Amino acid sequence: MKRTPDLGRTLRRAQAADGGFGPRPGAPAEPEPTALAAVALGDTAAADWLAAHQDEDGSVGIRLGPVWNDSATALASFALSDPQRQAALDHLAGGQGRATAESPIVPHDGSLRGWAWTSGTAGWVEPTSRALLALRALRPAAPQIADGVGYLRDRACIDGGWNYGNRSVYGEDLPSYAQTTAAAMLALRPEDGAVFEQGMAALGNLWRGERSGGLTLSMTLAAATAHGDPMAGAVADELHALFQATAFTGDTVALAWGTIATGPGLDVFFGGSP
Amino acid sequence: MSHTPRDPMGQPTPLSEPLERRRFLKGAAVVGAGVAAGAVGAEFLARHQDSQSSTVGTPVAPNGRPAFDPASFAPPGEARVAVLRHTSYDVGLESAVAQGLTAIGADVSGAHVLLKPNFVEFDALSAINTEPRLVAAAALAFRRMGAASVTVGEGPGHRRDTQFVMGSSGLSDVLAAIDVPFVDLNTDAVRPVRLRSSYTDLRELWLPDAVAKADIVVSMPKMKTHHWAGVTLSLKNCFGCVPGRVYGWPKNALHWAGLERSILDVAGAVRPDYAIVDGIVGMEGNGPISGTPISAGLLVFGDDPVATDVTAATLMGFDPEKIDYLREAGRFLGQGDRAKIRQVGEDPQTDMKDFAVLSPFLGMKA
Repeated sequence: MKRTPDLGRTLRRAQAADGGFGPRPGAPAEPEPTALAAVALGDTAAADWLAAHQDEDGSVGIRLGPVWNDSATALASFALSDPQRQAALDHLAGGQGRATAESPIVPHDGSLRGWAWTSGTAGWVEPTSRALLALRALRPAAPQIADGVGYLRDRACIDGGWNYGNRSVYGEDLPSYAQTTAAAMLALRPEDGAVFEQGMAALGNLWRGERSGGLTLSMTLAAATAHGDPMAGAVADELHALFQATAFTGDTVALAWGTIATGPGLDVFFGGSP
Repeated sequence: MSHTPRDPMGQPTPLSEPLERRRFLKGAAVVGAGVAAGAVGAEFLARHQDSQSSTVGTPVAPNGRPAFDPASFAPPGEARVAVLRHTSYDVGLESAVAQGLTAIGADVSGAHVLLKPNFVEFDALSAINTEPRLVAAAALAFRRMGAASVTVGEGPGHRRDTQFVMGSSGLSDVLAAIDVPFVDLNTDAVRPVRLRSSYTDLRELWLPDAVAKADIVVSMPKMKTHHWAGVTLSLKNCFGCVPGRVYGWPKNALHWAGLERSILDVAGAVRPDYAIVDGIVGMEGNGPISGTPISAGLLVFGDDPVATDVTAATLMGFDPEKIDYLREAGRFLGQGDRAKIRQVGEDPQTDMKDFAVLSPFLGMKA
């Protein structure tokens, strides 16, 4: 895999004085960019920041009033060490999204809960994918894994890819996106069968049309590389060209995924230990 | 019961007071008339139902509080709205925008202006987004009117790769060509802002600095039907000011809090000063994503977001009185009484287009 050292150097510009990473350079640190940067760079200061900001319930998140976005907990679990890691995984295992009522308007299987962006709301594709990624790597016997795979199977769009999580509304099939399809493909494995094969095929069809986005290319490259898909080479070429031209507009999350996709960080997700 | 506001990491922190921009400071001393309206708000809450939460059918009145702080909202006065016929994105956009803004008496001299278009999603074959060339035309018009700065900001609600949405839609290129900066409201620095209304239980909202610091916010929606709310116009467009990295993609916390109630609270926090509705090509049917493009040939300008939305909804063939959130917004956020909306352009009744709607929304049509 072609390396782009500038990706990591650019990512470091978003590191705050307290060791965490903000969503953009100069912004205060937040959980998601910090967790991804900790994995991407193997940065112990970022990992320490996550440990210092872990809630008593094991989560790492953003809160205001009744809104508690704990969706970064799954990513943080890769950077944390025991016992904080186990606390984060306990939170994941016990903190799934809300079941939803059956509805002909949005014909999902509402009993599959997945994971939510914010506590107390319904599951969506990206937080479900990252929770599944974490549990499969770090707590592979967790019974919630079956729900996560089932959720992704249920929410797959007609082409086998995923959007944010609604495959159909009012009888209209909704299109899938490369970025969320890549998120799902990071969580799924060949042994999941058709949902994996169709998802990877969909990603292969989608990514070129969405190659103007740094986050899309970075996550697509991570998924393709993780599964040894031959599309990885072409995706990498596009990623490097877009990075050179735009630096991904300074989006820390995109930069971190790009660094993970082109460096040793991917082994953290799939090798099981940072 | 006391509540201690906290920063993103849970540390106690002072909340920013509700956003006050120049236009609203003018009326800030006029208070008191909202008390009765607050009671009406409670009635709205009691009969209103969620569209997507498990509380469907359950009356909701958060904490029994008044629906909004009457001290924060001056009684709506006369509003000015201009409807212009314009059928092409290729010809005369800049002059049309200048004409519309002049007609409503827009004053942006010396102000830092934030334009908030609708780029919730991107599909090259559909009419989801505010046309980028219209956004550019508005930016140029505001510059010529003496704005100190013009910035475009959006936080896409479905796609989190904003670089892709802006690049593929063409917005990045048209803004670069005229040297207008773009701010991704999903990743901009945020601050907690106390809500002035209590239609939801949210109490506070993270809002981007770009929104909080702007002197003037201009909501620039696409004229579209919406499969949960009936219509999506300048008030609903404010959802794009709420950062996805806190509220998710989609911003599901707002749906669980009650979609229409969230529209009222979010718009009450953002408080757009002006609105420009892109109805040259709108969307009917299963909007705001999967509907059908409709060539309405209209631009709507307003100095009041509620009056603008009432007018645009009328143009779409809706009875605004039958759109719950819009009727409620007219009690505190702006002028909802059509008799008090000064129409300075085309007549909305004679230029009405009959936007098709999904069957659950037929009852909202005029």
